[in-house]
Amino acid sequence: MARSSAAAKPAISERANRAADRSELFDDKFLKTLEHLHMVSRKVAQGNLRAERRTRKVGSGIEFADHRTYSRGDDFRYIDWNLYGRLDKLLLRLFEEEEDLYIYILVDVSDSMAIGNPMPKLHYAMQVGAALTYVGLANLDRVAIIPFGDRLVDRLPPSRGKNRIHRVFQFLRDCDIGGKTELADCMKDFVAMNKRRGLAVVLSDFYDPKGFEQGINTLRYNKFEPFVLQVYDKREAEPHLHGDLSLVDCETGDIREVTISKSLLEQYTQAHEAYCKELESYCTKYAIPFFRTHTSIPFDELVLKIFRSGGFLR
Amino acid sequence: MSLLGPISGALFYYIAGGAAALAVTAYIIKMRRRRFEVPFSALWKRVLEQKDVNSLWKQLKRLISLLLMLLIIGVVLFSALDPTLGAVDRKARSVVILIDASASMKSTDGDDEGKKTRMQVAREEADKLIDSMGGGDIAMIMRVDNQTTPLSRFTSDQPMLHKIVHGVTDTRDPAEIPGLPKSAQPATSAEDNARRAQQMLQSGVNASDTPADLTRALSAAADALRDRPNPLIVLISDGAFPEQALELVTFDKPKPVESGSGSGSGSAKPQPKIGQGSNVPGGLSPTLQFNMKNLATVDLSGVDVRYIPVGKKSENVGIIAFNVRRYIANKAAYEVYIEVQNFGQEAAHRELKLYNGTTNVNTLRIDLAPGQRLKQIYTNLPGSTENKLSAVLAPVDGPGGSDTFALDDTAYALLPVRKKQKVLMVTTDNLFLEGALLVYDNVDPAKVSPEEYKAKPSLADGMDVVIFDDFTPEVLPPPPASLLFFHPSGENSPVAMAKNDINKPHITEIDQGHPVMRWVTMADVFMDRSSAFVPEARRGESCLSYAVRDCLVAAKRDGKRKVLAFGFSLPASGRDSATDLPLRVAFPMLLVNALDWFAGDQSDLLTTYPTGTRERIPLDGAVGATEAEVKGPDGGITRTPVVEGLATFYGHRVGFYEVAAKDALGKVIARIELAANLASPTESDIAPSAELTLGGKNGKKLEAPEKFAITHSRQLWIYLILFAMGLILVEWITYHRRITV
Repeated sequence: MARSSAAAKPAISERANRAADRSELFDDKFLKTLEHLHMVSRKVAQGNLRAERRTRKVGSGIEFADHRTYSRGDDFRYIDWNLYGRLDKLLLRLFEEEEDLYIYILVDVSDSMAIGNPMPKLHYAMQVGAALTYVGLANLDRVAIIPFGDRLVDRLPPSRGKNRIHRVFQFLRDCDIGGKTELADCMKDFVAMNKRRGLAVVLSDFYDPKGFEQGINTLRYNKFEPFVLQVYDKREAEPHLHGDLSLVDCETGDIREVTISKSLLEQYTQAHEAYCKELESYCTKYAIPFFRTHTSIPFDELVLKIFRSGGFLR
Repeated sequence: MSLLGPISGALFYYIAGGAAALAVTAYIIKMRRRRFEVPFSALWKRVLEQKDVNSLWKQLKRLISLLLMLLIIGVVLFSALDPTLGAVDRKARSVVILIDASASMKSTDGDDEGKKTRMQVAREEADKLIDSMGGGDIAMIMRVDNQTTPLSRFTSDQPMLHKIVHGVTDTRDPAEIPGLPKSAQPATSAEDNARRAQQMLQSGVNASDTPADLTRALSAAADALRDRPNPLIVLISDGAFPEQALELVTFDKPKPVESGSGSGSGSAKPQPKIGQGSNVPGGLSPTLQFNMKNLATVDLSGVDVRYIPVGKKSENVGIIAFNVRRYIANKAAYEVYIEVQNFGQEAAHRELKLYNGTTNVNTLRIDLAPGQRLKQIYTNLPGSTENKLSAVLAPVDGPGGSDTFALDDTAYALLPVRKKQKVLMVTTDNLFLEGALLVYDNVDPAKVSPEEYKAKPSLADGMDVVIFDDFTPEVLPPPPASLLFFHPSGENSPVAMAKNDINKPHITEIDQGHPVMRWVTMADVFMDRSSAFVPEARRGESCLSYAVRDCLVAAKRDGKRKVLAFGFSLPASGRDSATDLPLRVAFPMLLVNALDWFAGDQSDLLTTYPTGTRERIPLDGAVGATEAEVKGPDGGITRTPVVEGLATFYGHRVGFYEVAAKDALGKVIARIELAANLASPTESDIAPSAELTLGGKNGKKLEAPEKFAITHSRQLWIYLILFAMGLILVEWITYHRRITV
């Protein structure tokens, strides 16, 4: 019963206008909230989660990393004589090599992200992305922001220092939005354009008809650390619909005529939940940090949850 | 079960087919759907693909919905056929309920305790009848008094029929109330009709003060039932009808009148025996009598007539006649005639009181044997300023001292108003004229000479009558003074004169219908010479006496006054004309008649009438009026037509009436008072008839009410409609719960 046509695709609706209007998204109150998050993140980093992040390189840094058995030719200066005294074994002290961490904030700006109540998912994702960016900048990480839809829309190059946050705000306000979700193509383009590996935080609803696996796999296969944040709206998970409707896909324009019944709604809710679980299972399977949130949860609450669960803060 | 609805079978099938086709079409055509944006239709696709597995069930659900809708349509259409349970054994009846609303129904012996009137019991019986209607029965209610009034059309609406019987408070225009007949009475005007209909609607069926005209009622009912299935007339009455009315009914189809069927026709067919028991004049030919009998007889062939009697008692004493008149010679005095009858089976005692206004003129105790009729005459009663007389039968203590029917215990009569007339004679000494006036008690005469009148015409001011004897003035007295001329002449004559006088005329004809010529004969009156008048009808002039074709006496209405002119002069000294009229009895009669005519006093004018009769009343002075107002005893005002000075009067209530004609400016130009009494021995004989036989000795005895029962039936349409509504509710719920979607 489904049919697709360009004419059937709805024109820019009130929803789209609402999503496009981002002038009030990053105000002073928002900035204060970010500062508060930064403070909280420092406490969290100094607590339980200290040294959770491991550098792959072991070098001449000052931060102790590990021990290894002494081999011939190793520098005697790094032998841990204390341990030799206790264990009667020659162990060599290893130190982390200090390097900049690259964090890539990938924000889905497709048409499906314009849906949401009380705020569009796009706004929510941008606020979360801005918050993570701020914390990253404050930790002197290099943070880049890449909005994507059916392609990579734009790119805010990696930068460091929290004084860059206003530029981030401006970038997020001004970037183009709309289009379909083409996760696989966009991730493919992303890894091609960014040779420095790093943390790739993907903020999206993952409503890609072609599936999410290929996109995330692209990140994994190219040594990026994917960090999946699924944003959805409660209304789209549990829609309050009734009667005979023509359901129009906001991205593809596909029209599907249905008569909504209670059982159908229940089936849809189950299907939505199953889709989300599918994403979650996939991420769990590959040890990819995964967070699912809906727009009714305050963004700062989500960010704290991310901090506490680890994986983002060093 | 029977189907009593108005829809024919073919039409029903057409409607059912059409409705079913519409319903199926509605299920086939594509529904216009509301558009809704979703972020990810692939999820819906997944769900719907899964749901499509159950598409057969889905189709089935739509089929169930369609079948439910077809069932609803079927039920609604079936209810339109008015299916009825319990009425299979008979067809629907057309019932006319005749409720007797005659005067006797006011008798307070409806029940044994005497708390209800017969009318109330009749209404209760009508209620029972209406409640027992069923199936496709339709009923019409007619109110029967002297006039038969249909109060409803044929309807099966029982609540409305109850309202008509008992009355409702409805402030709407009667024309807007469904079921109320447009013309309930032979109306004198549309407003009166509307007012009367409104009163009837508000008060229900109430007894009037008139006798019942059974023949008219049965005729109206038969007309209403003509060509209707299973016609039935139910008469609720006390049976107080004259024998003649009961006989003028036939239940057999009247034989057609054959042309030429006379005594000389030579036909071998036996002629019907006619004329017996009929009131047709015996002088008419048998064929004509037969025709008239046929015309008067109510044809109830094929009509079932039932009778429900009401009333318990028969004891009643009533005034059946009451009238009053002035003496001709002495108009100041009058005499009264009262006739009282005991209609009961026991001796009765009453006090007969006569009132003049509120003054008790006479009180007489009367004792009446069963059936006794008492005629009482009161002579030489003195006049007074009051002219309204009433006779009252007052109850006395003891057995037989009272009765249950009060309407005939009071009767009313009017005494014509009389006052002394101021009469001015403008004459040189005329012994005949002066002598005649001097002996008449009711005039106050004065005399002036023609010269004095010429010098001062104002001498006639304030006079009621001015007599010009052989003198024609140039200036006439102002109205309303009436004028009497003897031998007028010249251009100032009140009536145009012929050129030549007539020598020794012989009066050949007089207008005896005119009040002036009443009881007067002038056949052999001698006169040696007379002028002749040329009256013109268009000017209100008429001729009262002719000598062949020449008019010798003319009368004229001149606005508010009347003029009478004699073409000849009376004998007097110095006149050469001669007539022997003053020596005859006719002369004072002429003068008295003329003065009475001038005063508007007609000795033979009846002012007391029985209720329920339509009378033509002379409305003196109502020149040019086409309508008059009638003020009834209850103060209500109706209008009545006036034709050629005669007003139509119909008294439906006992009491005094006032009939007044007005000019274009609304000023009263003619007025008369009348009294109406029951004066009906038939109505006063309130003995209820337990059984009634219509059609004479060989007629049909109406069946007892207990045998009359309309089959109870149960109409199913309301239940079917409720069932259909229930189905719609179920469909609505299942649709919105997505069960049948």
